Order: sequence, then C-alpha cells, then structure tokens
Amino acid sequence: MLAALFLAFLIQIAFRYLFNLPIGWTHEISVILWLWLVLWGAAFVLTEREEIRFDLLHAAVGRRVRRVMGVATALAVVVLYGTALPAMVDYVSFMKVERTAYMKLPFSWVYAIYIVFAVAAIIRYLWLGFAALRGDEPGDDDPTKIGSGI
Amino acid sequence: QAKPNLRFSAVFSEQDIRADMVKRFAEAIKNDFTLQPYYGGTLFRQGTELVAMQRNNLEMGNIAPQDISNQIPAWSIVTSAYLFKDADHLKRVFASDVGRDLKKMAEEKLNIRILGPTYFGARQVGLKPKTRITTPADMAGIKLRMPGGDAWQFLGRSLGANPTPMAYGEVYTGLQSGAVDGQDNPLPNVQNMKFYEVMSQIVLTSHLVGFDLLCITNRAWNAMNAQQQAAFQRAADAAIDWSTAEHVKREGELVDFFKKQGLDVYTPNLAAFREHAQKMYLASDLAKSWVPGMLEKINAL
Amino acid sequence: MSIAFQCAVGLIIALSLFGLPIGHAMIAGSILYLLVAGQDLSIAAEQLLNGMYTNYVILAVPLFILAAELMNIGSMTERLLKFCDALVGRFRGGLAQVNIVQSVIFAGMSGSAIADAAGTGRMMQAMMTKDGKYPPAFAAALTAASSVIGPIIPPSIPMVLYALVSDASIGFLFLGGVIPGLLLGLSQMGIVAATARRRNFPVEAPVPVRALPGITWRALPVILMPVVLLGGIYGGATTPTEAAAVAAAYALAISVILYRSVSFPDFYRSLAYSARTTASIGMLIAGALVFNYVVTIENIPNALRVLLTSWDLSPLTFLIIVNVLLLVLGCLLEGTTILLIIVPVLIPTAKALGIDMVHFGVVVVINIMLGLITPPYGLLLFIMKQIAEVPLRDLVRETLPFLWAMIGALALITYFPSLVLWLPRLLGYQG
Ligand code: NA
Ligand code: NA
Repeated sequence: MLAALFLAFLIQIAFRYLFNLPIGWTHEISVILWLWLVLWGAAFVLTEREEIRFDLLHAAVGRRVRRVMGVATALAVVVLYGTALPAMVDYVSFMKVERTAYMKLPFSWVYAIYIVFAVAAIIRYLWLGFAALRGDEPGDDDPTKIGSGI
Repeated sequence: QAKPNLRFSAVFSEQDIRADMVKRFAEAIKNDFTLQPYYGGTLFRQGTELVAMQRNNLEMGNIAPQDISNQIPAWSIVTSAYLFKDADHLKRVFASDVGRDLKKMAEEKLNIRILGPTYFGARQVGLKPKTRITTPADMAGIKLRMPGGDAWQFLGRSLGANPTPMAYGEVYTGLQSGAVDGQDNPLPNVQNMKFYEVMSQIVLTSHLVGFDLLCITNRAWNAMNAQQQAAFQRAADAAIDWSTAEHVKREGELVDFFKKQGLDVYTPNLAAFREHAQKMYLASDLAKSWVPGMLEKINAL
Repeated sequence: MSIAFQCAVGLIIALSLFGLPIGHAMIAGSILYLLVAGQDLSIAAEQLLNGMYTNYVILAVPLFILAAELMNIGSMTERLLKFCDALVGRFRGGLAQVNIVQSVIFAGMSGSAIADAAGTGRMMQAMMTKDGKYPPAFAAALTAASSVIGPIIPPSIPMVLYALVSDASIGFLFLGGVIPGLLLGLSQMGIVAATARRRNFPVEAPVPVRALPGITWRALPVILMPVVLLGGIYGGATTPTEAAAVAAAYALAISVILYRSVSFPDFYRSLAYSARTTASIGMLIAGALVFNYVVTIENIPNALRVLLTSWDLSPLTFLIIVNVLLLVLGCLLEGTTILLIIVPVLIPTAKALGIDMVHFGVVVVINIMLGLITPPYGLLLFIMKQIAEVPLRDLVRETLPFLWAMIGALALITYFPSLVLWLPRLLGYQG
C-alpha cells in the first residue's frame, strides 16, 4: 500500500511534466499523499530502528539502564500524546470549515491522518513500554538501514 | 495588573512598510496592550492565520480577503477584478453600508472583527514582449504568470491573457528563459524581486487593488469597554491611513523609477478592461454567491 | 526564556538521549511546552499538518531518494565506473581517483551521500581491495569522503531542506553547490596524488584509446543525466521539485528499457525502501515544524540575533563561528536534525549581517556533510565500517587527511563567497 501510494505520487508529477496537465490538482494530490505517507508510515510501517534517533548513549549503557530508558520514553509519549489527543480531535474536526483549493475536500478529512498517527503512537509506546518492563529488547542497530538519506 | 498580550501574525517581512504601520499601531495602544508581532509568516503560515484567530490562538492578524472568501463565499466579490478603482475607493467602500455588511458577516461567521483594509498596491501587468496593449484582445496568447489556485487563474483569464501558474520565487528566471511572457504584481514587488530587469514594459492595468484586512478576535475585542474600543479603532485607522499614503507615494515614485530603467510604462484603455472583466466575473459561478445589488452599490460609490 | 521553554528543551534532550526517535521527542516536548504555557494543545497538530501541507518543496525529498535507489539497482553505476576507469585509471593511484570521479558524476544525479556510499561504495570497496591493491581501511575512508560530494553538487536533499527553513531559491542553491563540490573533489584528488607514490598505490592497465568511444557510448545515458536534470531546471522546463520526479523517471527508464537490468521485485523493493526513508525523514521534519512554533513564539532566533549583532561580529567571524559550531555539532547530531533545528535559529543573524542566503546555505550544507565523516557520530563512517569490515579506529585514521583537506576547501569557500555565487549570478541570481 505504501509503495502504491508512492508510485501514485510519482506518476502524478511525471504526468504533469510529460503531458502538461493542469498543475493544481495533481499538486494537491501529491501534497496529500506526502502527508499521509509520512504519518501512515510512521504509525504502521517504520520500526523503532528505522527512525532517526540519537543512539550514542542508548547504545553505550547496560541492559538494565536501557530498560529504564525504554519505560521512561514510552511513559512520556503515552502521557503527553494522550493528554493532547482531545484538543487534536477538536482541531481536526474544526478544519471542516476549510476546503482544499482544487478538489474541494474538507480539511478535516485530509488532516484526519494525524489522529490515526497519534492513536497508533500511543498504542505502540504502550506496547514498547510493557515490553521494556518485561525485559524484551529489539535487535541491534544496522547503520546501513537507518538515517535520513542525505 | 499586567497589560493583555496581543499576538499578531503577518506574512509581510519586517522591512515592509506595513511592519512600520504595525509599529505605529503598537505605539498608539501601548498604554493598554502589549502587541507581540511575528512577521514573515513565521508563527502561523500564510493562509492559516484565520483559523488560528478563530480558535483564539492568535489575537490579531493581517488576513487576506481570499482566505475569508474560502469560508464566506459572498466575500469573493472583493477579490474580483476591477471592483475597487484605487486605494481611496477601497477605503470608502469599507466605510460604507456595504463595508458594514461585509464586516458583520465576518463577525458572525468567523468570530473576528475587521478594523480596516490595509492597502499594499494595485496589481499591474508587466511584460517581456514589446507588444502594445490597449484592450483585453491584445492580451490574447500572452502567457501571464499568476499565483496557483482557481481564483487567480480566473483573474488572469479575465484580463484576456493565458494564465500560467508558477511559484513566486521562480518568476524571475521564468521571465528570463521565456517560460512566461509576463507577471502581475503590485509595483513594489516588481522592484523587490527585480522583475523589471527582465521586462520591457509595464501596463498600468490596476486590475486588482491589493489589500489585506487588519483583524482582531471577537474575544479580545469584547474584553474592551466602549471607550477602549473607540481608541483602539482610532489607532488602527490612523496607522492604516499612514500606511496607505506611503504605498500610494511609493507607487508614484516607482513609475518614474521604471521609466528611468528604460521600461515603457503606460495606461491602457481601462474602460475596455473593466467591462471585459466584470462581464466575465458576473457570468461565472463566483458571482452566484455575491449579495444581490452589492456590485452596483460598490460601482456607484 | 520562559519556564515552559526550559521544560520543553529539557524533555526533548532527555527523551532523545534515552533513544526516543527525535521526531517524537520534539512533538512530545512541544506538547509539554503548550501544556505548561497554558496554550491550546492542538497547536502541535496545527503546525505539523499545515507545515507539511504548505511546503511544496519537500516533495523533492522522497523523489530524490527514489531516483538514487533506482540508479543503484540498475547497472548504471557499473557503466559509470568503467567510464571513470578509462578516464583516470592510468594514473598512479588510479582506482582511488576513479572512486572520486565516480562520486562527482554520481553527485550530479543523486541528492544523497548515503545512497552513493551504500550503493557504489560496496562495488568500489570490492574493486579497490581485490588482490590487496589498496588497504581496506584506506578504500573505505576514501569512499566515505568522496560520497560527501553527493549532496553538494546538485541535486541535493539537504539543500532542499535548507531552502525549506531559509526561503532561499532551490534553483540558485543548487547552482551555488557546483563549484564547491568540484573543489572538494579536487582537494581529495590532491591528497590521493600526494600520497600515491609514497604508499606505492597501483596503476590500472591503461584502457586502449580505441575502446574509449565504446565505453563512453555505453555510459552516455548515465553521464548525460546530470545535464538533463540541470538543463531542465535552468532552461525553465521543470521546477527543481519536478526535476526530482524527472530524475527518478529517467533512472527507471534507462535501467528498464536501455539496460534491461531491473526486475519488478527490485523496483518494488526500491519503492518500499524509499517510502520508509521518506517516512523517517518526514517524521523528523514533522517534529521540527512543531518545535519551530515553540522557538518562534519564544522569540529565540530574534533574541540570538540581537545578542550576536550586539557583539559587532563581522560576517566572516560569524561564518567561522558557524563553521566551528556545526562541525562540532556534526560529531554528535544527525545532519537533518542540525539543518531543521539549529540552522533556522542562525538564519536571522546571518541575514542581519548581510550574509547571502545562498552562500550561507552552501557553507552550512558542506559543514553538515563533513559531519557525516567526523567521529564519533558519522553516519558514513558507520556505513563504510559495516561494508568494509574494518575497525572504526583505522577507518577514522585514514579519513583524517581527507577531512582536513575538505576543511581547507571549506575555509576557501567561506572566505570567498564568489566561489559559490559566481555561477548563480551568471544565470540571473540577484544576491
Ligand atoms: Na566514491
Ligand atoms: Na547531488
């Protein structure tokens, strides 16, 4: 699904260039796909190891300390994202007053992906927090698989 | 007791004349309020300030009429070509009954109070080819760069041109390489972006009077007593008048400047352009949402 | 600085040190800020969503990643290497020079150093260490160093990100990188030439002159790619963002149609990989957008500007401070993080000092790229260590001469803005 999304995104821009289709709505689709690709990907596809992190300290400490760190970060994410969730829902539903420029989609639909992302993050970190409590650990870092691509 | 803080966000830069307007305004209200300005769209992005105000995350803003018409279609009338004749006409309309009706719609539907229109220059057509332009028919086939979006593209067609969307930052090279034949912007922008270096003429079409709206949230407004409100409005009027006069003066100076740079600067048959544009707007879907009779009232003012 | 801001920064640092992905750490810290400052919590979502939605230029990032991926899975890089070998293989240390020239040409197609190192790096490593020709650590160090050029010569992902935070024109930034990129390449070739005789590096069997046209012909579509890309941008046919799409389409078309070297599963894997990388950069951008609101409402960049301009720094002193600061930070932080968090704070001061935004951008990007090979946190070093299976210590030791040479080149580029600005001005830049 992610790949299809990406392909659609590429085709839209390629079409615009090759066939000189009107710039507006293809642009709009591309931007929406980009937003959804990132938030959907971050919610369901990326593993912990693929995200960009500062891992110097994390890799240097012992297992026990790492477990404590895991629990602490999970707790912070769950509490803060959870506290903010009602306000986020309020904002996203408020955005029904605005529509996109070309396809006239209500922004509340376009932006709904944020809610999906936030809920998924809360569930994921609940899970990771419990895993850290139990003492499970994800595998080692592979530097060729992470990074921001620059 | 601490003075209330008024967060203000605008897209224009700190070097803009309108930033001086904001400074004058802040000075005038400093006994009652602290104005906290953010320029260059750094706090809230262009086009997102209105919602930020509606949600009371921002107390004051300089809102584009296009953003208001997104939520109140009847407002699209003030974004149509050849509606306002000049800065003075703009001021008169917003001070009239028509202006009162428009402001009331915004107050009721958007939770914002409009203090007044902030003029920033009339949009003029600038072209690279030397073709003499008198009527809209002369614009046929000219690739005129317009901002993206249906409304802007329609504006380009209402001038008789062939509108081409292109990002603002790419216009200079676009003109240079011939990807577009011309652009339409207020004269100060033409100078800032050095477009005049790659153009041969400026046709003073004055097809759209550029302005934003200085606004405050209903919540902040209603927290003032009647006397404070009156003083606040007076301060806004004075600052806006100053800024408008500066812009008009600047436009006059720039006409001379562009002529000195060797550009042909002249006024076309404005009646022909006005008639063509208003006819196209009235025949379009946009006009369906306009308040009946408003166009005539504005034309008569 | 308010209590709320201190809480937020403290939390972001703590969570990042504890290993939380930086994007999440910044969102969480910003929510804490809003909570403590008593502001609407939904501003976090508002900034993230509107920021991602209104920044058209970021669309170039996933497309450049995809383009580089497609080049690596096709046989494009192989043909490119053959061509470079015919060109410079005959000199002492020939393969080492090939490595650099290949990176310079590859840089003209790809916006990513990681893509160069992880793609051609593997191939170069095998070629250079076969039969004990070159010490493995030296080969790996050279590959890491030469990959740095990738995003300095256009196209460039970090320059797209810089344009995002500075509002400088991507087109002119790209042009500004051309001469500095070539300069970095030359500085590396100088180091290789200077040490080749002393370390007795081998010479490759010279490619016969009559074989040259054939090799060039086979590599032509690859060599032409930078020309097509840049020509498209500066001829006015495509915007830089569209050029990214064209690059991807071009790489795909050549690999599939001309060289018939890409299978559907390969293509699918590249898409999936690019999508994942896009999501992980995207999360960092998202976090930076949210945290940027906190920094702005607290007026941090302006306060820094007032402070720094009160010191009466000359533009050059400021640039030197920035160079040192970024090189040090580059030892600790990931490049995208620096670009999106630290650089925006420095921009108002740079503007106030009258430093050209394109010059500043190129200097900043070179700094960040050098950060990829400075220990202890050099992503390129990690990658080459993995590929070459050499101890990090040897790798770092072999990298140092290249690093010093490039820092020398950076000093020149910092001191002479026209090295950056000459080409953009030639094509109409008004700076
Ligand atoms: Na290389
Ligand atoms: Na590049």
